[in-house]
Amino acid sequence: MQKLSAAKKGETGRIVFIDGDTRFLSRIASIGLIIGSVVEVIQNQKGRPLLVYCRDTMIAINRSECEKIMMEVTVNEQYDYRAAGSAQLGKVDAV
Amino acid sequence: MSNTTIALLGQPNSGKSTLFNGLTGSRQHVGNWPGKTVEQKEGYFTYGGKKYTVIDLPGTYSLSANSEEEIITREYIASGKADQVCILADASQLERTLFMLADYVGIRTPAILLLNMMDVAEEQGKTIDSRAIAKKLGIPVVPFTAVDTKNYAGLFKALEDGRAAPGILDETGISELYEAVIGEPYRQTLALLPGEGIGAYSSAWLAAKLLEHDAAAMVIVKSAMDAETVSRLADMTKGVRNGSLLTGDCKFRWIGRLLEGSVSEARTGERRMGRFDNVATSRAWGKPMAILLILVGLALSMLIAMPFMMASSYLPMLSAPISEALIGIGISAILVSLLCDAVLTAVSFALMMVSFVFGISLVFGFMEEIGYMARISYVFDNTMSKLGLQGKAIMPFLVSLGCNIGGVTGTRVIESWGQRVTTMALSWVVPCASTWAVVGLIGSLFFGDKALIVVLSMFLVAFLHIYITSKIFGRSLIQPSERTGLIMELPPYHKPRYRNLFKFVFNRMGDVLKRALTIIICVSILFWALSYTPDGHIENSLIYKIGIAIEPVTMVFGLRWQMFMAWLSSAMGKEASLGVLAALFNAQGIWTGISGQGVATAALSGSLLSTISKPEALAFLYAFFFNMPCLMALSSTVQESHSLKWSLRIAAYYLIAALLLAMVAYRVGLLIF
Repeated sequence: MQKLSAAKKGETGRIVFIDGDTRFLSRIASIGLIIGSVVEVIQNQKGRPLLVYCRDTMIAINRSECEKIMMEVTVNEQYDYRAAGSAQLGKVDAV
Repeated sequence: MSNTTIALLGQPNSGKSTLFNGLTGSRQHVGNWPGKTVEQKEGYFTYGGKKYTVIDLPGTYSLSANSEEEIITREYIASGKADQVCILADASQLERTLFMLADYVGIRTPAILLLNMMDVAEEQGKTIDSRAIAKKLGIPVVPFTAVDTKNYAGLFKALEDGRAAPGILDETGISELYEAVIGEPYRQTLALLPGEGIGAYSSAWLAAKLLEHDAAAMVIVKSAMDAETVSRLADMTKGVRNGSLLTGDCKFRWIGRLLEGSVSEARTGERRMGRFDNVATSRAWGKPMAILLILVGLALSMLIAMPFMMASSYLPMLSAPISEALIGIGISAILVSLLCDAVLTAVSFALMMVSFVFGISLVFGFMEEIGYMARISYVFDNTMSKLGLQGKAIMPFLVSLGCNIGGVTGTRVIESWGQRVTTMALSWVVPCASTWAVVGLIGSLFFGDKALIVVLSMFLVAFLHIYITSKIFGRSLIQPSERTGLIMELPPYHKPRYRNLFKFVFNRMGDVLKRALTIIICVSILFWALSYTPDGHIENSLIYKIGIAIEPVTMVFGLRWQMFMAWLSSAMGKEASLGVLAALFNAQGIWTGISGQGVATAALSGSLLSTISKPEALAFLYAFFFNMPCLMALSSTVQESHSLKWSLRIAAYYLIAALLLAMVAYRVGLLIF
């Protein structure tokens, strides 16, 4: 597990944790990044937003926001929409 | 003829405005949402003998209440003013863009799902069974391509069917997922809410929004329920920390189930990044390339605007023959002067402005249209975020070097209103081409080869000005939450849709011309009235009497009354100040100066050098350089910000700041020279 901001170009992985305020969470979910989403890191340059590829879309995310996202590298995973969302049914990590 | 109102809802880049233009053509009306600074676009079309009103809702990513746009969108949908809501999704990025539909489920306003960009999806080798999807959803689903305006038949049919039997989205599927994934907190929240929901919102929708900590949803609940239940609801939802992620998970699961078996995708080994994008986003070349392309764009738009600008600048020349003719038929001299001097000049100003807006909108609309703007945003994100702005803001700044009207017009590509207005306020500092012309002339006249030092000092102050202005305006205009960094998609490049682009540009010009004419004519008439003299002697004009009276005050800033008036008129147009100087020092008609009909520069130089001291010249240069750009830039700012109040605030801020800087420059000048 590593911060998304520390991910290397070309790595593919699953998002396992996202932290932030209500606004940020709703914004990042609406662009398709949630726990369990599979993302491919396209570019990670110092002083630049990250470029990731997820759900057929190239997405730019600010570096400081990427600090709040944790990813688990699973290099060879094939991208598949049915794989979205990994939280087990019935399991609640809140409350 | 009966009237049906349809609203278009979709994420940015979903093709919403293409569809809006395709449906309504030029039958559009642009205004503000009542009491808001968000643009409202409304249009009309008729089909099958029935009239349809189309409302273009603001482009948002979801229906959460995080921005003014989202709240407007949500409230409008729930208000029942729209008979049907067309929800757009991009077939080439189907899963992600269906999020809007998933977020809509539970709002009981009839809806139609439009799958746009089917042509691109086909190229990707994707096949979509829209019938199967329609069956699962319980609403019509129309696959189409918004650019292809000749093939809207499916859409029209769905609209007609919808009139007869409105389709409301089935919410059982998503509600089951909420229950399965979120569990007890969802069940209990749902149980506390009224079973029939509140207004257009179902209880399942409200429960999900409450768990997402949506403040506006809480307000709705408060208005309809007793205090005790509300406080129990608040306690219930407080325990769920990351509600948006949980409901987001449910929404994407729901989308997954919806698409399962209905979408087949041929896996292509396509590259994520094209060769062009590798350069456009690269560390070394991204920025230089963006700056180069913007400057080329600026030059191009100047080139496009030039013939129109030239033509309209000759308009005031007609003033003499027309006025002679009018006086000949016995119309009073004052009326003729008003018409031929004030109104004609104003019309020529407005036409010049519109031709520039035309060039800028066309060239930068093109860059936005093909998808390059998003790359600019990406490469300049870090630089501009230091001013609290996003990367796209670099564009208006560079364009302002040519003309501030263009800069202000260019802010349109910035999504957030607060950032847009702040960018406008900041881009006013950037000196335009005309500013340079006047600064060059006066500077070299008084300071010779030391003019360069004066210009450099103004440059340094300009950077300081930008920094301070960003703090002052940014604080009230940009909410801290809006400062959260960039999260946006880089849309794939695509071929420009010229029809759509030109439609956008022409509709735009019409609006600009209407507003510009009213504002500019009013101010022109005011200035004309001040400088009107029945006999052509300056001493008899109001401006002279006022000027003499206020000179003791203006000298505090190091400005003689003539310089002060020249400075004031530079707020109308930077070049105007030269004309006014000539008029005031050589006692020509003042208005001749403002309307730019020939300035005798040589004669002006002589009289300026003999009357104005160096510190006074320095004060004038500072006052002039930092003054508001021009009346047309102000008018554009009103147009683009949708807020007269903020535009006037910015203008007042610039006028005051310019005078204060002049005062400082004057005092410093007194010490040096």
